[in-house]
Amino acid sequence: MRSSLRNPYIYILFVVPTLGLYALFFFYPMLTSVGYGFTDWNGLEETNFIGFANFQQAFADSDFWNAVRNNMVFILFSVGVQVPLIVFFAILISQVRRFQSFYKTTVFVPSILSTAVIGILWGFMYDPEVGIINQFLGLFGVETIYWLADSNWALPAVLVTNAWQWMGFYIVLVLAAILSLPKEINEAASIDGAGGFRRAWYITVPLIKPIISVIVMLSIAGAMRVVDIVLVMTKGGPVGATDVMASYMVNRAIRYGDYGYGTALSIMIFAIALILTALYQLTFGKMRERVEF
Amino acid sequence: MKKYGLLLLVLMVSLTTVLAGCGGNNAGQGSSANTGANEAGGSNEVNAGSSGEEAVVEDAEPFTVSLRHIQIGDAKKYRKAILDDAVAKAEAEVPGLTFELDGVEDEVNRFTKLPAEMAAGNPPKIFDLFGGEGDALKYANAGRLLDLTPILEELGLADKFLNMGQFTLDGKAYGLPIGGSTEGFFYNKQLFAQYNIEVPTTLEELEQAAETLKSNEVTPMAMGSQAAWVPLMLANTLIGRYAGPESIYGFRDGSAAWNSPEVVAAFAKYKEWVDNGYFTKGELGVTYDAMLNEFLGGKAGMMFDGSWRASAFANPDLVKEITSEDVGYFAMPAVPDGKGDQTAVNGNYSNGYGFSSNLNEQELEAVKAFIKHLYKDDMQVRGLLEDALLPSMKLTDAAASEIEANLEDPVVKQIMGTMNEAGEAFSHFDSVVQSDVYSETEQQIQRLIAGESSPQEVGDALQQAQEAANAN
Repeated sequence: MRSSLRNPYIYILFVVPTLGLYALFFFYPMLTSVGYGFTDWNGLEETNFIGFANFQQAFADSDFWNAVRNNMVFILFSVGVQVPLIVFFAILISQVRRFQSFYKTTVFVPSILSTAVIGILWGFMYDPEVGIINQFLGLFGVETIYWLADSNWALPAVLVTNAWQWMGFYIVLVLAAILSLPKEINEAASIDGAGGFRRAWYITVPLIKPIISVIVMLSIAGAMRVVDIVLVMTKGGPVGATDVMASYMVNRAIRYGDYGYGTALSIMIFAIALILTALYQLTFGKMRERVEF
Repeated sequence: MKKYGLLLLVLMVSLTTVLAGCGGNNAGQGSSANTGANEAGGSNEVNAGSSGEEAVVEDAEPFTVSLRHIQIGDAKKYRKAILDDAVAKAEAEVPGLTFELDGVEDEVNRFTKLPAEMAAGNPPKIFDLFGGEGDALKYANAGRLLDLTPILEELGLADKFLNMGQFTLDGKAYGLPIGGSTEGFFYNKQLFAQYNIEVPTTLEELEQAAETLKSNEVTPMAMGSQAAWVPLMLANTLIGRYAGPESIYGFRDGSAAWNSPEVVAAFAKYKEWVDNGYFTKGELGVTYDAMLNEFLGGKAGMMFDGSWRASAFANPDLVKEITSEDVGYFAMPAVPDGKGDQTAVNGNYSNGYGFSSNLNEQELEAVKAFIKHLYKDDMQVRGLLEDALLPSMKLTDAAASEIEANLEDPVVKQIMGTMNEAGEAFSHFDSVVQSDVYSETEQQIQRLIAGESSPQEVGDALQQAQEAANAN
């Protein structure tokens, strides 16, 4: 028994089944789809190998790069606007003594609603004629804004909706981290005369850095794969103003039947995701060291 | 020795576990594959039986045939009723047959679901299908559609259709248009009377009418451009006016160019109307249904739409401020310097049903029964009387006089009148050009509306796409 466990081949035997399944359901589909990226497969006619033509087309496709840019806006908005707001609200809620769980539940509710429901709900709110937002702005004499039909406003409108949907979830995460901090540190600081803002900025935020780093990562991942809210609210329109990489790819592949080109786009999206992951590891990823109390 | 025994045992256990897992998978796949095989194989047995002496079986083996339709929602309930009737009759005729109806929204079916199913090779047995290069002919070319020529011969329908052009490939029929349609302006008689507007007969009068409506804070033309095919209807007719009816067919064979001055003039006119504020504000965010609502709510004076919309004006579930009594219809007026016949109207026989080429004997019987009961005179008459769908088949005198006697809908009467006055009919280019070109037109029209492309840029981009597609 003991000697057989010393034999390295035994261990290999143990992982073979898993590796087999992994290869079957992960490597094989991935490799075949990479293969399809080099063909003009449209599902109906004969498939031909066309080399790098799809990728050449993708590099020259301004609509695709427009979608990539919109995705970047999503990421910047998540990291630059959403994350600070998340931390702000979490600290705010952690300071509340009464009804804390009420606030916790309230901010969490949007993230249990389905995206379709949220998209339609906000669609009504953005309605140019009867929507509550325009009615409210109308009180101050603001002219009717065609939120989802105006190329300038559609993306911000979708960004806000997306933020509203996901912020609550992260707030609850950060809140849990804040509440698990030892009380002594904060108490000591307040005895030393530190006010609420100083305690938040110099004590709470540094202590929850690891969880903030995780949230940044989750936000980037979420913004990279965002597509459902776009499809529900605007279908990428008007004129591609809200198209993101995934929605553009789905459109090309499914709607226009360009499966080969769509696959090539998906490979490019994969490459872009890899680059972003590397960037994250070099920046925020370093914040994830353990904090010792 | 003992340790090898143990090793062997462990190996056996782990392998069995894995295989059991795989087995589960295989069983799952296998059973689904089997269902497919059963449909084919099993039914053959049944047929073998039924072709024998026991042809008259009391309770035949039940089987289902999938049927995809797009008649969902209030605006299409009359069409659904006609379909339901045909389905019921076909079910009664073929023992054991049950149709499995699957209602999917028009655009989702045409542009997302059906293409994906066609690519995967598992379309429904019967499905709503559009004619033309981008749809029926493409699928027919790939061998996905059933050749209907023998069935039409058998049922005596071979020469009954008015126009099968968009469903015919190499002389074979691959789909059957359920009705015909034309596109033009619907107008609100109440609003026209209120502001003393005459029904426009020239382009100037039309633009004058739009100006009058606009100055009275009424949307001149309801328009929902979120889905690009809606504004493309008007663009198509403008091209037909400025560049001539022949140009629509000319894009495909190269005798007409998208960036020719005439076609660009059509886009320029469209753009001029956008800039003048003749369409619904924020039209790029407005859906096709919302466009109808705006018109029915009396908030817009005109609406460029297909003749099929006439049934909505008579639908008590939909009408608000106006009913079909208050709706008038006129064709696009002649344009100055327009080429070709300026009285021509758009005429389409492009929507209907197609059938999967992957059918067994039993399903083929079901398809035949379905065609027999849906494509006949009384259904065509009902289509027109109940649903404002123009006939796609040559009607017998009896059927024609029935229409004559019973057609009461004032809007449909006007549409029929307009068609009869028209010199000729031209198609919508969506059934003529290749799907790559069509998808480019969808993008370009929205760019034009959003002000991101000039009419000339739109024409150039489309011509480039056309030349690329023609070269393939």
